[in-house]
Amino acid sequence: MEMTLKRSLTVAAVAMGMAMAGSMSVAAADDDTLVIGAPLALTGGLADEGKKQKDVWKLWLDKINAAGGIDVAGKKMQVKFVEYDYQTDGKRAGQLAEKLITDDGVDVLMAPFGSGHTKIIAAVAERYQVPMLACVASSVSVYDQGFKYLFGTLAPNTGMTESMVEFFKEKNPDLKKVAVYGRDDVFPKSMATALANSAETGGLDVVYNELYAVGTMDHSAAISAIKSADPDWVYMTGYTQDLILGRKQLADMGVSAPIVTMVTGPAYREFTEGLGKLADGITSSTWWHHSTAYTDAVGAWSSTADFYEDFTAAYKSDPDYIAASCAAAADVLVNAVKVAGSKDKQAVRDALAATDILTFYGPIDFGDNGMNQGREMPIIQVQGEDIKVLYPESIVNADMKMIK
Amino acid sequence: MDIIQILLNGIVLGSLYACIAIGFSLVWGVLNIINMLHGSFIILGGYLAFFAWQYSHINPIFLLPIIATLLFGLGYLLQYFFINKVVMSPVLTTLTLTFGLDMILYNLMTVFFTATPRRVTLDLGSLNLGDMYLPVDRLMGMGLALLLTGLLFLVMRASKIGRAIVAVRMDRQAATLMGIRVNNVYAITFGIGAFMAGAAGVIFSLVFPITTNLTGTFLGKAFVICVIGGLGSVPGALIGGIALGLIESFAGYTIGPQNATTVGFVLMLFLLIVRPTGLVGVKGYE
Repeated sequence: MEMTLKRSLTVAAVAMGMAMAGSMSVAAADDDTLVIGAPLALTGGLADEGKKQKDVWKLWLDKINAAGGIDVAGKKMQVKFVEYDYQTDGKRAGQLAEKLITDDGVDVLMAPFGSGHTKIIAAVAERYQVPMLACVASSVSVYDQGFKYLFGTLAPNTGMTESMVEFFKEKNPDLKKVAVYGRDDVFPKSMATALANSAETGGLDVVYNELYAVGTMDHSAAISAIKSADPDWVYMTGYTQDLILGRKQLADMGVSAPIVTMVTGPAYREFTEGLGKLADGITSSTWWHHSTAYTDAVGAWSSTADFYEDFTAAYKSDPDYIAASCAAAADVLVNAVKVAGSKDKQAVRDALAATDILTFYGPIDFGDNGMNQGREMPIIQVQGEDIKVLYPESIVNADMKMIK
Repeated sequence: MDIIQILLNGIVLGSLYACIAIGFSLVWGVLNIINMLHGSFIILGGYLAFFAWQYSHINPIFLLPIIATLLFGLGYLLQYFFINKVVMSPVLTTLTLTFGLDMILYNLMTVFFTATPRRVTLDLGSLNLGDMYLPVDRLMGMGLALLLTGLLFLVMRASKIGRAIVAVRMDRQAATLMGIRVNNVYAITFGIGAFMAGAAGVIFSLVFPITTNLTGTFLGKAFVICVIGGLGSVPGALIGGIALGLIESFAGYTIGPQNATTVGFVLMLFLLIVRPTGLVGVKGYE
């Protein structure tokens, strides 16, 4: 027994020594490489979103490598991504973030898709004082925890709903009753709540306001209730599969509201493909759409059109806001390292806080809570085969149509 | 009027739920295997239907026999070559094996098909009876679900293989002594489970968006339905499915969709305590 204990202690000590030596060698590896850590949901419920992040970062990295790296303080610095699959398991995401920091010695972290998992990883990054960029988290609840190392490229989702209510009231003067139906999950729930509040403030009658549980396979009960309430506007939030099913069931159950908004449905091509004709007329708000045109941008791509061209050539599909926001986050990071003149975590963090630049994705200017303040978000609508921009005035390319 | 609509919604949804659970219940009842692959089998059937439709534009319903038979073959082979090796072990061993196989199948599907939701966009509209709406695709799904359930019931009751399955379930040793090739019967039973899952997948491709994200949801529903209806009988899965459909439908309407799924699970817990055989289950299979 004693022997075994002694032996296992020796083994443990050797293992620990090796691990420490390993992490030291990584940490001290070379100052010429910027190591970016990314826990990603490559399998499980968010596999699709995780893959989008992985793909766009590969495209971005190829672009950076083709230029021989980034110029920092007169020297070329290489960039490397370390990615792990956290299997859409929040707890595992936290553990892997910790592993990335302690074992792999990453200089910065990129958050995975969604406000929920971003929140978990942000706490780990804060503890180790590692700067983190969140490119797909827009719920204010992620950013109001007083974290100093967290920066998000999406704008607060509450701003979207107020402008939407006003815009629809103007386009449809008969608009009186709205039904709000949201997925009980961080982002979709916050959007549904924000819209219900904005609608009430805007003088609309919220005739139905319910959430549905994650894992709901069917919406017929809710849609029957919505039908009884006879709304002029149906506002539903959720992920693509929920929204495709929701839209189909709205049509099947004979709900005939002239305005149907699905967040963030039409921002994704798979939404329109999965719905076919039923997608026509659906409105949405989104953080970015490739029809927005920014030029003279800082970063790997100097215009929205350049990014669109590279992305479609590489992946034979349109980039959505996830791709754009995540690529822009990487641009912002590189910009901060350049400004800081090194990859020192504190210096990079300070440079991030002072960021005020225009990327191909749009302006980025982090507010006190770390969220991007510099965005005016478009309202879009599916019209036939196309996605049209209805708002804001500066980038409008079509007039709004009501669903018949 | 709303009440009738909710009732109809519940029955139609419940029949689709029954479709999920029948194969799962059969495998659990006969082989004592909790088949963690079941949800992925359904999605695989759905993907095959989607891609066949996309390629040929043939209504997936007509492809159902082919796709379900392919799934039968897959199920048969998996049971014959892998699961039969450990079929006599405690239930945790077979559960772990099917869990592992499920991870392989699930991830292969995610790699090859991506998790993007796909849907057969044959929108068939709804039957409109006064104020009530009955979506045609769901009605077709319900009809098929009932038909397949009826067929399986007949197979189990009246065919040679059905009787062999029942015999093996009752007493493996006696069945062996009577000359039944038990390993083969096991593989056929698992194959039938996969067949029913494949058929459910084809039906679902018309009604729901198909994505690998749903495998866990389907598996969860199958569990609840088996516990409510009871293991070991085909009617059990049907009754369990319809009961769950009605419960979710009424709960969703009255106390809100947020709590509808919870009510199903609470009922499952309640039944586990007071009636472990389920509503119509056979004693000895709880």
